[in-house]
Amino acid sequence: MNAPELPKSFERRETEFPNPLPRPEGELDALKKAWKAPKGLSFITAVNNTYVGLWYVGTAFLFFILAGILSLIMRVQLAVPENDLVSHNLYNQLFTMHGTVMMFLFAVPAVEAASVYLLPNMQAARDLPFPRLSAYAFWAYFVGGLVFFGTIFFGMSPDGGWFMYPPLTSTKYSPAENADWWLLGIGFIEISAIAGAIEIIVGVMKTRAVGMSLDKLPVYSWAMLVFAVMIVIGFPAIILGTLLLEMERAFDWPFFIAERGGDPLLWQHLFWFFGHPEVYIIFLPATGMVSMIVPAMAQTPLVGYRLVVLALIATGFLSFGLWVHHMFATGLPKMSLSFFSAASTAVAVPSGIQVFAWIATIASGRMKLTTPSLFVIGFLFIFTLGGLTGVMVAMAPFDWQAHDSYFVVAHLHYVLIGGMVFPLFAAIYYWVPVASKRALSERLGRWVFGLMFLGVNVTFLPMHITGLIGMPRRVYTYPVGMGWDALNLVSTIGAFMIAAGVALFLVDIARNFRFAGEDNAGNVWNASTLEWLPNGNYATRSIPSVVSRDPLWDQPNLSKDVEDGRYYLPGTATGGREALVTSPFDARPQYILQVPGPGWQPVLAAVFTAAFFLLLTVKFVFTAVICGILALGCVIWWLWETDPGPVRPPADIGGGIVVPVYVTGPMNHSWWAMIVLMVVSGMVFTCLIFSYLFLWLVNPGAWPPQDIRIPDWIWPAVSAFLYCGSAILIAVASRQLRGEDRRKPRPVPILIGVALLLVGGASAVDLWAQWQTDLSPSAHAYGAAVYAITSLQIFFVLTTLVMGIYTIARWLAGKLDTVRRTTFDNTMLFWYYTAGQGLVGLLVVHGFPRLTGGV
Amino acid sequence: MSGARTLQVLLALGGMIAWAVQFTIIYGVTSTLCGRGWADATIFGIGIVPLTILTTTLATLSAAAILLAVSLREDRRLRIRPASATDSFLSHAGVLINGFSLVAILWNGVPAFILPACA
Repeated sequence: MNAPELPKSFERRETEFPNPLPRPEGELDALKKAWKAPKGLSFITAVNNTYVGLWYVGTAFLFFILAGILSLIMRVQLAVPENDLVSHNLYNQLFTMHGTVMMFLFAVPAVEAASVYLLPNMQAARDLPFPRLSAYAFWAYFVGGLVFFGTIFFGMSPDGGWFMYPPLTSTKYSPAENADWWLLGIGFIEISAIAGAIEIIVGVMKTRAVGMSLDKLPVYSWAMLVFAVMIVIGFPAIILGTLLLEMERAFDWPFFIAERGGDPLLWQHLFWFFGHPEVYIIFLPATGMVSMIVPAMAQTPLVGYRLVVLALIATGFLSFGLWVHHMFATGLPKMSLSFFSAASTAVAVPSGIQVFAWIATIASGRMKLTTPSLFVIGFLFIFTLGGLTGVMVAMAPFDWQAHDSYFVVAHLHYVLIGGMVFPLFAAIYYWVPVASKRALSERLGRWVFGLMFLGVNVTFLPMHITGLIGMPRRVYTYPVGMGWDALNLVSTIGAFMIAAGVALFLVDIARNFRFAGEDNAGNVWNASTLEWLPNGNYATRSIPSVVSRDPLWDQPNLSKDVEDGRYYLPGTATGGREALVTSPFDARPQYILQVPGPGWQPVLAAVFTAAFFLLLTVKFVFTAVICGILALGCVIWWLWETDPGPVRPPADIGGGIVVPVYVTGPMNHSWWAMIVLMVVSGMVFTCLIFSYLFLWLVNPGAWPPQDIRIPDWIWPAVSAFLYCGSAILIAVASRQLRGEDRRKPRPVPILIGVALLLVGGASAVDLWAQWQTDLSPSAHAYGAAVYAITSLQIFFVLTTLVMGIYTIARWLAGKLDTVRRTTFDNTMLFWYYTAGQGLVGLLVVHGFPRLTGGV
Repeated sequence: MSGARTLQVLLALGGMIAWAVQFTIIYGVTSTLCGRGWADATIFGIGIVPLTILTTTLATLSAAAILLAVSLREDRRLRIRPASATDSFLSHAGVLINGFSLVAILWNGVPAFILPACA
């Protein structure tokens, strides 16, 4: 069912409201009831973004403190030469865990967490479109992260550095399970980050205030959109990298072992293709926050809105052309290095645009020197210094001198603390009044800022010199007389100043943060954006129509009118939780999304998923498989309650706009999510094909090795025929699912069933064709690469099988028909993707060696 | 998302997509030719690596320039005729992004004139 054509003139003047007053009795109570959070033990099953967002932020901050404590231990160890507080073995684990936890368990989750809380409020949406997915992502991260951190107490933590370079992390040099904790633990937490990114993309594009067209989108939403797209493009590389390294460690498939055709540099490419965008993945949301805080503090609109949006988009693109600048010392041709050097300097331009936009905004208004302002100024100072040393290390000749020294440690901490931690503290001080009954203390806040600002500079400024006079990073101690003693002592004092600032911040939180359901501290900064509207568990009482980027300044009575229920959808049309879905460009109302409420399914699914990955790490394979099956069962239980269909006729949301309560096809939010998921899958596959080609490049004359024969062409041809056949059958089933008569008998389950046999057969034929040539995945990187492509395809085919059987089950249960077909559409999209990936895989595996003739 | 909107987005982001294409080709080709020892080949007396970089840069530069011209024309047209705020925003974004892309593409191509191919 498609949404009806809507009147184009739905934007109204302030004096004309979509809904009249007084509102019907019981309307608000019904809304409150629908969005009420569960109580008692079931409270953990809450999925409201206001709860999950806060838990998420709190957990990320917990990891910030834990990783910070690790850094303090390291700083004490380095305070004096030849110290023996910790052993070299523990020190290796400390710096690996500090970097890993800060990057993977604090930085990315923290900005994702903040957006789970803020985005719906800022866009006046009742919630994000997939609240249970947010809950799943949070619980998976919470359980997995805590268990991962706990390994430090058992000497089991990874110790190969946060970027885990092989061959150091290969089985030969790291035979214990420390590295496996990183590979499986972090790889799995990345999946949680991707789930969050899908939520954010669909949320920004589809759930906004009416009239909040792209030109009126808050800069923070733009930043989070670019952030999420970057996760979707960048994170698959590290997921694939961890998969390959774990396969090498577990099954001896030599992707990175040079003696058998592998290459450790492949890991560096995969890691940094994720790792450098990661810096901007962290930085862009922080700039989005700053772009919201600065106008509020200066009481004037952001200068250069369009330029700032350009800067965000340009940074998103350019950040994928920087990864080799982490590999300047690996011996790549200078010409290749220069491309990355050029992009590394070019990316300073959009960053500069944003900095100048903030300075211009400050200059054009009257900046109030509040705690958020101080943290923003601190951010500008520290990040700019980090950016300047960034331009220095972007020059390959300088980088060769500074490589692996404390200069790099100083640079990256200036960038990350300046670019992310300070804006995050600014954001916490700025937005706490939205979530709390009281704002945080300005007096304490100034002390927190002062201690942290001085602490950061006292800690890291001397490190530039320490590095330039020769101190390498990651040494657990150093001899007397190197000239490093005093500088290290100063850095240690600075680290404790930062810790004092953070401790004072915790005191401030304990004293002043009081969770607010409906009685928050209010718009204490006289800010202009929608998160400052009065709100409750259901977000705003009615969904406003906005006419500018600063609605609270340009529509002075907006808060009261929204709270009175004068705007759109002031109650609940279906009696349950709902969000208003709007068009992606102009934010016109499209349909009412029936949002799922609390449930144990996402919590249990997350716990069992975490258990699956973590138990695999310690080789409890049988128990892990049981947990994996339970996780899958919980996901199916969760999905079974979704796709409710049109439970009532189209509803009037006000202003004469009548929208359906259920749509299918490209307008549907889950269609969008499936498309994003396919992009993620496509990126994993692209990275795998890149790995295959990279290994070909480093194996001249041995692709395949001389004793290996390629399967006869008939087998890939049969496999390709079966993939195409299965996709055609699904297309036929889709056609069968059209038409008005919902009760007409149709052969849909039979078509899906036959298609299942074909797609399964296609994969089996290809595997058998490789197997009967006696190709071994362990003998040479060629075999490993071929079986990696085949294995990935088998994983997708198995997923398709589960989805196909699930779709048949829904048909048999009467939950799928010509109207209620979102489940089928999702399966169909994934099916087409799997078939397409299978065909490309066949082309590469069977066509490429023939094309090159083994050269 | 309608076809017209898709075109608008492609027009707005086209310059950066051209930059990404240029980057992928010049890095991929340079790595492959140098890695396999094929970089000594010449066409019309010009080394294959600088020639690839030059032609790719010119092609993507032209694409970005055309996109910039179209964006500018669209932006001027929308200033004269009444248009939705979204249309104006997208056309203006196209001008900015495509303009920036021109510089980025040019900047990436410069090394071909300075550095040896595979040293």
